Amino acid sequence: MPVERISQSFKDLSMSFQISPLNYDIIALKNETAIARSLRNLVSTLPGERFFNQNLGSNVSRALFDNINAISASVIRDEIENTIENYEPRVNLIGVDVSPDYDNNNFNVTIRYEIVGIDVLPQQLSFALQQTR
Amino acid sequence: MALVNFTNLDFDQIKSSIKEYLRANSNFTDYDFEGSNLSTIIDVLAYNTYITSYNANMVSNEVFIDSATLRENVVSLARNIGYVPRSRTSAKANIAFSVNTTLLSTNPITLTLKKGLVCTSATSFGPESYTFSIQDDVTVPVVDGVASFNSVEVSEGT
Repeated sequence: MPVERISQSFKDLSMSFQISPLNYDIIALKNETAIARSLRNLVSTLPGERFFNQNLGSNVSRALFDNINAISASVIRDEIENTIENYEPRVNLIGVDVSPDYDNNNFNVTIRYEIVGIDVLPQQLSFALQQTR
Repeated sequence: MALVNFTNLDFDQIKSSIKEYLRANSNFTDYDFEGSNLSTIIDVLAYNTYITSYNANMVSNEVFIDSATLRENVVSLARNIGYVPRSRTSAKANIAFSVNTTLLSTNPITLTLKKGLVCTSATSFGPESYTFSIQDDVTVPVVDGVASFNSVEVSEGT
């Protein structure tokens, strides 16, 4: 008897609110893209920004105004790890790398994770964090 | 699917109602995850509904005299049934004084006390001095060169 695998898909709205040329419906984000967007949202949301959920989000923006060094990078990494572990149950976090980019005055962030529930390879999300977004 | 409850005043319950609706009527699935775009939109919708419900609740309370809490609304509703509630009134006093006009070059027939500020209280009532005014002019005849203002009612204030 074959092993029964329960696979679930994730589907989210795109904040661009553009029309898909294929089905003339709003563009949807699916699976890996939806989760990557969700992670990005969580990192860039400030605690207190969401209604009646004061703890959702991360305090990385506060650390962005500190001196760019390894200590600030460590603070940002901890913030991102805590946020993802607390608010994104769809991923198993493998690791977060934060490296200061002294020349461009920002931090380069790479998040590596596995998606729970769908059969895909481990994912990697990279972006730069600046004081202004 | 019909919406379960229109009168919710709790944000979390409103949010749950919207999620239940989406669960039954939409092919989007990420409403349960706080980081998703859909969750952000649901939060905004729920907050909007929450504020609207609160306002509707307040308005419906203020419409009835039994449940109105703002004084101006209670007064307005009471006026509809023929009762005007009293409000604070200023302190009043009756004063009397006379003016001797014999030293004037021309003898007036009457003397008029113009409306407005008339006198101030002594500081014996406390550290402050209060001003007293009249609302209308008071005219008295001059008899034998003396104008007597008897029992002039003055009200505290300007």
